[in-house]
Order: sequence, then structure tokens, then C-alpha cells
Amino acid sequence: MSTHTRLITRLLLVIAVPAIFTGVVSTATPHFYPDDPIAREPESQDASKTQPYFRGSLFEMATNLFITADYKPSGLRAQNINTIDEVPDSNWFTNRIGSTSVRTDDLVRGPNVGIPPDPSHWTLTREKTAGAHPGFTARDAKGETWFLEFDPTYFPEGATGAVAVATKIFWALGYNQVESFLTTFDPARVDFDPNATLRRPSGARTRFTKDDMNSILERVARRPDGTYRVIAGRQLSGRILGGFQYDGTRPDDPNDVVPHEHRRELRALHVFGAWTNLTDLKASNTLDTLVTENGRTVVKHYLQDVGSTFGMCNDLYEWDLSYENFYQTDTTLRRLFSFGFALSPWQTIPYVEYPSIGKFEGDRFDPKEWRPQTPTTAYLELRDDDAFWAARRIAAFTDEMIRAAVHAGQYSDPAAEKYLADVLIKRRDKVASTYLTAVNPVVSPRLDAAGRLTFENAAFASRVANGAPTYRASWFQFDNATGQTQPMGETQGTTTTIDAPRSLPAASGTFVAVDIAVDIDAYPSWRRPVRAYFRRSGEQWTLVGLERLPEKLADAPDTTRRERSDR
Amino acid sequence: MQIVRWCVLVIVLLASPALAQAPQEPTREAAIESAQAEKSQNLHPYKPGKMEALFNRAEDVLVNGVPRWHPFFDNAYYGGGFTLGVGYAHHVSPYSMVDVRGSYTVRGYKLFEAEYTSPRLFHRRGSLSVLGGWREATQAAFYGVGMDSTLEDRTNFDFQQPYASGTLTFWPTRRLFMLRGGLELSRWSQNSGEGDFPSVDEVYTPATLPGLGTRTTYVHSQGTVGFDWRTSPGYSRRGGFYGITVHDYNDPDEKFGFRQVDYEVIQHFPILREAWVISLRGYAQTSYTKDGQQIPFFLLPYVGSGSTLRGFTSHRFRDQNRIVAQAEWRIMVNRFIDTAFFYDAGKVTARRADLDFSGLDSDYGFGVRFHGPFDTPLRVDIARSSEGTRLVMAAHAMF
Repeated sequence: MSTHTRLITRLLLVIAVPAIFTGVVSTATPHFYPDDPIAREPESQDASKTQPYFRGSLFEMATNLFITADYKPSGLRAQNINTIDEVPDSNWFTNRIGSTSVRTDDLVRGPNVGIPPDPSHWTLTREKTAGAHPGFTARDAKGETWFLEFDPTYFPEGATGAVAVATKIFWALGYNQVESFLTTFDPARVDFDPNATLRRPSGARTRFTKDDMNSILERVARRPDGTYRVIAGRQLSGRILGGFQYDGTRPDDPNDVVPHEHRRELRALHVFGAWTNLTDLKASNTLDTLVTENGRTVVKHYLQDVGSTFGMCNDLYEWDLSYENFYQTDTTLRRLFSFGFALSPWQTIPYVEYPSIGKFEGDRFDPKEWRPQTPTTAYLELRDDDAFWAARRIAAFTDEMIRAAVHAGQYSDPAAEKYLADVLIKRRDKVASTYLTAVNPVVSPRLDAAGRLTFENAAFASRVANGAPTYRASWFQFDNATGQTQPMGETQGTTTTIDAPRSLPAASGTFVAVDIAVDIDAYPSWRRPVRAYFRRSGEQWTLVGLERLPEKLADAPDTTRRERSDR
Repeated sequence: MQIVRWCVLVIVLLASPALAQAPQEPTREAAIESAQAEKSQNLHPYKPGKMEALFNRAEDVLVNGVPRWHPFFDNAYYGGGFTLGVGYAHHVSPYSMVDVRGSYTVRGYKLFEAEYTSPRLFHRRGSLSVLGGWREATQAAFYGVGMDSTLEDRTNFDFQQPYASGTLTFWPTRRLFMLRGGLELSRWSQNSGEGDFPSVDEVYTPATLPGLGTRTTYVHSQGTVGFDWRTSPGYSRRGGFYGITVHDYNDPDEKFGFRQVDYEVIQHFPILREAWVISLRGYAQTSYTKDGQQIPFFLLPYVGSGSTLRGFTSHRFRDQNRIVAQAEWRIMVNRFIDTAFFYDAGKVTARRADLDFSGLDSDYGFGVRFHGPFDTPLRVDIARSSEGTRLVMAAHAMF
């Protein structure tokens, strides 16, 4: 494909995709389709020709640090959301907490639906191919393949605990997760597959030996009885395609039509990452697999490795993690010219360090100041409405749920377990108070047959804000064919129930729009109204649209020409 | 029954055009599927661009360590000036490799050598290096013996040296405690110097300068005992190294044999979560002549170089013994760059008893270091001393 053709294709995708998911601006098609809001993103095409590709970490890191870091956000609304500002289910994301009823039991089970490994005997097959911490690929006593990850000596129970807890949290948040079980590795009950190999510095693969195993075990935390605590990740079904990128789309996946930086669930990792301190957002911690579902071959997208959460990192001395990218020009220059006297926040934080938790705290945590190791385009594209969506999910975790998830980490020190849960709760509250109050927090609007509008205030419901606001509703007739509005009147109230004007149409198939603003001095941003759209069907009004922020933020630079859709 | 079937068929046929002409109501799902269908006509596998391919190749070389060409910046001897060199490393077994390399400097210093390294011996407790090569320095500096010489006293000398050595390092506990032993066979051929300064043989005679014009073969054996808990000798912000090395230079002709003992202490003190590091190094070298033998002038301990007194020219002071004390205040700029203010002091002495902290020459300066977690591929220091300002560029850590 020529460069010219590729450019035209990209422009068409950029113009077309947002319209497809959230509303068509052409007068030839309606603003809302009959099936709006969709609950599931269709994947209609056969993707069996998708080819594996594994992007190099060095290139990704260099690109993210020195090119992506200067990326100017488009200000565009997420493009995979449906018309009511929600993310439909897909092979990327499944609505769970905050959307459906997720019980504590569900959370504790997380992605683990199969039987756990049988650790009575392990057969090592090769080295571990992903993640920073030491490990192996091995078959358990029942012959099933697992990826074993150990705790480094300086983080006993830390790396394994983080994976155990974080996979459950990220599963509940909606991401595809690898089934991961805490189990035991006894070096006395190990043998080596005759075909087991290890890649040597020479590039050659030679037989995996006991000495190779010992060289790994020397670097990991051993229990007093000589066994090792491991987290075992089940091998994913399907063909492994490599990690997904945080921008553009897979050029060989026909169903991948939304640029990844405009997928809300990927933008939201900015917020979920801040909450859990998931600092390592690189592509090699993700995984695409080719699976057959309902007779169609499609690509399924995993957050494969969420182990770099809480205080887990590559050694004890990565003090700046979560406060700075691996490289930042501003902090580099500040330290260079001040000879280090211009202190950064991470230099003075009084951490309470448990070896199994690492550097993780909630008192100084500021969600807006949080940084991953390297920024991604999706991370930078986060808008306040994306953050609001993410914060609602985080706020849906109750204290009990958080403590139950942390308990699944099987930390031997009860104080460490309590500390981790306490910090997650503190950080949850900070995320909620930061992002649920940043925009108009009106959610779940409903219009009953009698013309009574009810809704909820998410900030009040999460107890991160309080006060006595006035809710103002501006009503419009809405022409679904042209998108034009006709004012009907204004109503207001001091509760989350407001009557509609008497002129509310009653004909089936008619639409009304209502702008709901919240007037409260403490939160001036709440005066920007949320617009809800209702369609009359018979005697009922159905919510078909919700816009918390404009399609394109006015203060965002025009980067349409920079949009990347298809590499 | 047949009539009924015909009726049904007629009804269906009549109805079909009407059905076909009825406008199908568009749906969101259909719109998305349409975009997917459109994309399906234009699929292609991901093709990395040239830059990505280059980075992938670099990553393969850096991380996976496949056979590779590499730059080589070590020169034959201090004072050779800007150096260009290249090497080719080739694994001869899963871990062991042979590296053939050479360099040439603007002053005509030449170095060719081949090294075999085996890093995983004795169940990862030991490593072996076998090195053979040849080098020539055409205008190495000699200012006289002692601390009283001046820059005007400079003479130049040339030497050529073929050498072959083997060094075995052993970590009994795989970390902290280190033993090292080595044996080297070399032949020094000292000749008239080139360059802008007088040749050493124009100023001195073999009677006034031991080793002048000599052709000496050495069997050099050495042993080191050390404790090393730095993260890496190539780059560290914490930990230390404490070691003693004993050398024996055996001249089969029994003219220039001698012994030396090196004492080295390195300690890094991280401050405020490694925002700063105070790094200290103390180094002393004492020499012991053998009965009736002398130390050739070109093997006398020295101060003045990019690793001793940085503000002085290479080998500025030479004598039987030396002491060097260095302090650096290192500032972490980011994960890849450090800056440092430094202070060096040192001297050479004729008597071991004079190895104290009096009468030290000193310098100070500022430097920038580009580093990774374990190595410092580029160090640039600007040092100021009583004899001027010098720029030091090196491809390794200071200490």
C-alpha cells in the first residue's frame, strides 16, 4: 500500500470511527440507531490471518520516552464507547465491577475458572519468557503448562503476591487476565523435559540443566523448608500473537478499527495504574491471542502481566518509580542545574516498607501526579470523562472487597496484608475524590413515563463530595434525523429528581434531550451540563445517549493530522 | 395440496420484491461491521520501519549477546589521545567467547589483542580470561622520577610489548568474597620516543635511568583478595570494594625483577535515596625491589592520568610508590546520566615510609557520566590542577 493510500485510509478511519460508535454526523443517517446503546462491540470478521509480531522492548521504550512523551493529546472523546458514555463488552474488555453485580466471591475467584496446578511434581520445559522476575515455564504433575514466577530475595512474597492480588483487581475492572494461582515449587520434585532448552548468550539454545535451575533459584526467596512460593500463570489458549500497542490498530486484524489510544479502557489504565501503581505499561506486558469463539476466529487482548503493581519493581532502589518516567526532560534539567538540590517528591516520602509490599503508600499519593515508567499514547489521551468512568469503577470496590482481594495474596505477615489493603483504600478514595469531582458527576439518568427525571450524583454517592446543590435541567426536543434541537423549557430542583416540562412529547419514536447542570460553589466544573438523550418507545422513555464532555475538548490542540489509526 | 403449494409460491414471489425494496433500518452494529468489513479488504501484516528494525537489532546485540562487531576505545597506553577501534566478539560455546579487537590513536599508538573469556566456571563461581596481544606506544611521557619535575622536563619514549596472560577469578560464595590470580608473559622493548618532545635517550643514560633501552621479558604473576559488594564495578551507587593485590615481576635475566602490592578501597555512600552519592577511593601501591635488581622507569608507579590525578597529564609523576585519594560527589540527574564534582590528590614517593597525606598534589573538577545499570560507556571529566585544565574522556567508570 502506498504512503498516499495509507494516509487516506488513516484519515478515513479517524473521521469514520468515532462516528460509527457514538453517533453519525451525516444527515443521511440518524444520530441514534435503533440498537443504541450497544452492549457489545461486534467482531464480525475472521481474523485467522493475523500474524504474530513481538515488538522490541528497546524500541518501545525509546519511542515512548522520546517521542510519545511529547505527544499532544487530541482531546477527542474515546471512540469505542457507546452512546451512553459506557464501554461495551468486547474482546478487550468485559463490564464487571461498577456495571454488573460483582460480589466479593467473584472478585476473589477473579479470572481463575480452571483447576489450580498440581505442584507435587514439576517438569521444566524452558525459561520464563515474560516479566522481570525470575521464573520458568513448566508442566505440573497433571501435564498442564504453567508460567512460574518467583519472588526475588529482596521481595519475599512480594512479586507473587502482587500478581495474585492484581490479577483479581484487574479482572474485576474488566480486563482479560491470565489465570494465576499461588502454589509451591519444590526443587526436590523437579525434572527436566528432554527437549527443555535455554537461550544462551551465544544465541544458541542448549539443554536446560539443573545448574540453570539453580542459577535462578539462587536469586529468589526460599522458604525455611527449602521450597519456594511461586505464582503459576496458566498458558493461554489460542495462538500467541505478541503484545498489543497502545496506539494505532493491528493492521492485520479486521475487527480492530478503533485506534488503541482512543479505546477508553486503555486510556483508563492511567487511572487504574495510578490506583494500583501499575508502573510497567509496556506492550510486552500485554498479549494478543488468536482464539475461536462462536465459530469465528478473533483476536483476544490480555493485560498479561500486572505484577509491577503496588511496590514491586526491579530492585529495592527504584525510588522514583510512579513519580517519574524513566526519562523526563523537565526533571532532568531541574536536577542538572540545581545539582540535585531541587528535590523531587519521591526523595522525601516516608515509606513504611514491608518486603512483601515494597514502596507503596497512600498519604502523599496524588493520582494526577502519578507516572508510569514510560508513557503510552493511550495514557496521554485520557480525558476527564475517561477518568470519571474509571474512577466510578474503582469507587465500586468496597473496603471488604479490597481486603478480600488482598487476602488472596496469602501474605504471611498480617501487618503487611493490612497495610496493603489500607493503602489501596486510601488510594481508591483519592482517585475517587480527584476524578469524580473533576466533571459533572450526574450519572444514570432515567425519565419515567410520568415525565419525572431522576439521576444520581456519583461524587455524593461515593462520599467524596457533599453539599446542597441546585440541579438545573434544560429540555429540548431532539430531531434524530438532523440532530437539531428545539428548546422546551427549564426545570430545576435540589434533589436528584426533577420534573420535565409539561410539553414533553408523548409520541412513540420521539426524542428529547436534557442538559443537567449542577450548581454548587465548591465545584464550578459541575456547571458544565451532562446531556442525556431519551427515546420514547410506547409509554416508556429509554436512555439512548449521554454526553459528559464535548466530542472534542475546546482547549485541546488540533492534532487530527497526527492521529494514527493503522500503522 | 398441489394448489396450496402453488399459492404459497405465488405469494412468496409477489412478496419478495416488496421485501427487497423495504428500506432496511440501519443499526449501530451494522455500521461497525461495515467498517470491519472494509478494513478486511486491506489487511497486511505489521512491518517494522527501518528505525524499529535497527533498534531490534541493537536489542538483540545488547541483550541477547549474539556475535557482534563492537567499538573499542581502549588505547595502547595512557596519553595516546583520541582513539578509534573495533572488535569482533564471537561465542565459541554457550557462554564463552573470543573477542578480537584493535585500536589506533591519533598519536600512532597501536593495540591488537584477542581475549578468550569464560564467565561460568565452577558452577558459576569462577571466570577465566586468556589474553594475548601486542601494543606499541610511540610517545609515552616521562618527566623524571619524583614529585619535583616540571612540565618542561618531559621526554618521550616508545615501547612495544607482546603479551599473553591468563586470569582466573573465583567467588567462593558467588558474591562478596573474591579471589583472583593471574600469570602474564610479556616482553618490553623500550625504544627512542617520537613526537614534539626530546626522546628519553637524549636526556638520560642507562646508568641514570634504569631500564632505558632495555629488552626485558617478564613473568608477571599476581594474586588478589577482595571483598566486593558493589552492584557492578562498571557502575554503582552503593556498596564498596576492599582489596589487596600482590604482584611479582620476575625477570629471567635477574636485572629488573621486583614486587608490588596494591591496596584499594572504594566506598559509595548514597544520600537521600541515591539522589547524591559520595564516592571515595583510596589507592596505594608499594614496590619492593629484588636483590640487585631495579624497577625499569616505564614500570614505576605513577600519578597523573584519567584514573588517578585527572588534572595532570598522563604519567606526570613516577616513583617507587604512590598514593591516590579521590572523592566524588555524584549527582543523579536521571536514570542514565550522573554528574559529579570531584577532587583528586596523590603523590609518588621513593620510600614507602613517605606514603602519607602530606605534600599531595591535587586537582578538582566536574564531570558527566552516561551510564546504564551496570556500565558507564562514556565519562567526560574536566579537571583543573596547578598545571592547567584537562579534558578526560573515558569509556569506563572512574571507580
